[in-house]
Amino acid sequence: MAQQHGIIVLFDVENALRTRSLDGNTYWFDNMKFLGSVGVGTEQLVTIVPGTHFLDGSQATEQVLNWLPAALGAIPPTVPRNYLAEQERADDRRTLRELAALDGEGGVSDADIKRLQRRVGKRAHKSGGGRGLTHSKLLDVTGRTTSDSGAYNYPAPVITDITGPAVTEKIMYPAQYGSPDMIYDGWYWAATVDTSRPGVYPYTMHVQLHELVERNDELVWESVDLTCESSLKITNDPKRNGFTGAGLGVLPLPPVPAVG
Amino acid sequence: MKHRISIVVMVDAVGALSDRTLHNGNLSLVDDSSAGSEHQGTPDLITAVAPGQVIQWTPIHVDVQTPVEIHAIEFLSGATVPPPADQTVPPHPVEPPAFPAPGAVPGTGADAMGSDGHENHDLLVWEGIVPYDMTPGVPYRYRLSLKLHEGPNSVLYIDSPALLRV
Repeated sequence: MAQQHGIIVLFDVENALRTRSLDGNTYWFDNMKFLGSVGVGTEQLVTIVPGTHFLDGSQATEQVLNWLPAALGAIPPTVPRNYLAEQERADDRRTLRELAALDGEGGVSDADIKRLQRRVGKRAHKSGGGRGLTHSKLLDVTGRTTSDSGAYNYPAPVITDITGPAVTEKIMYPAQYGSPDMIYDGWYWAATVDTSRPGVYPYTMHVQLHELVERNDELVWESVDLTCESSLKITNDPKRNGFTGAGLGVLPLPPVPAVG
Repeated sequence: MKHRISIVVMVDAVGALSDRTLHNGNLSLVDDSSAGSEHQGTPDLITAVAPGQVIQWTPIHVDVQTPVEIHAIEFLSGATVPPPADQTVPPHPVEPPAFPAPGAVPGTGADAMGSDGHENHDLLVWEGIVPYDMTPGVPYRYRLSLKLHEGPNSVLYIDSPALLRV
């Protein structure tokens, strides 16, 4: 039984935002190297899709692709979905406790106040309002609040579409699915593949990144839409019987079975 | 009598590779024979069969992104010496089979599994007809070898399942 394909797309978000391009800023990794994927770990991944057919020509194996986006230098995607919000709240509670403790007899020192002000962190808004995919406070890669604009954690890249020859020529049928898996925010992209037409078919992935910009004295997350490319290599081979190497035959039983 | 019997091989590939055994609950065999199979859900499944029936083995992996294929099914012959009975962890790589299945023999099988220069075990269909000269009442044990991904430690096997003509 053929396994499903997993294709990790790792983005260097910071560099991509600086150059306004995904060229040289993506790393593609799939689990099909042993069946012929080439360029695994690089930008030039060609994912093998080894199709099979029965002797009557019908497709024998369903091939399924799953794309898993990830960001370089981000909080790992494996932490729970509410991790950032929880961290932010915990930090606020700590700050309030320490603020209350400052009310001592010796007065309050400037240094203490400054330290707590730093702890409060900076807030960023989603442009256009509404419920965004980002959280209100800037958190660094360890999940702590930060006011250092160079140390914050980018929101995860979001795949917005998959297009290109592999789609227009009806080689694969990509779609976004809802999922109970919280790692990818409850949504993921998958596709089934028609393996009846062997060949190499490129496809384009549309990705939304988020950039932190300062506007009217406010920090705002603005979306930046970019694209990158990869391709599928479709092969197709006939199924054969494992015992005979050809068609159905009698099981190769020994004259005398083993005892025990 | 059913014309066809399915034997489904359920595998936890990650568990099997890290334990280096298909035991410890990493493999479970289930069939749909109506003639009284024994030990359903274990690696010791004895499938009750009748001559003329088609038996088909199908692997199913619990982690959908792990490659699990049947590497070989070889019926163990009383004429040759099987591995020691107390050996639960099979050696690596698997020794040459006592009763080779043509599809698993290098030279004949490479062609059947060849896919653009890569070996693709997904191309093999494991099914066969129960012969009429099978002795009733005697379990015919077989070695079920699974290939989990590729590499020197990718093939694991069990010798415990059997077909029994009732």
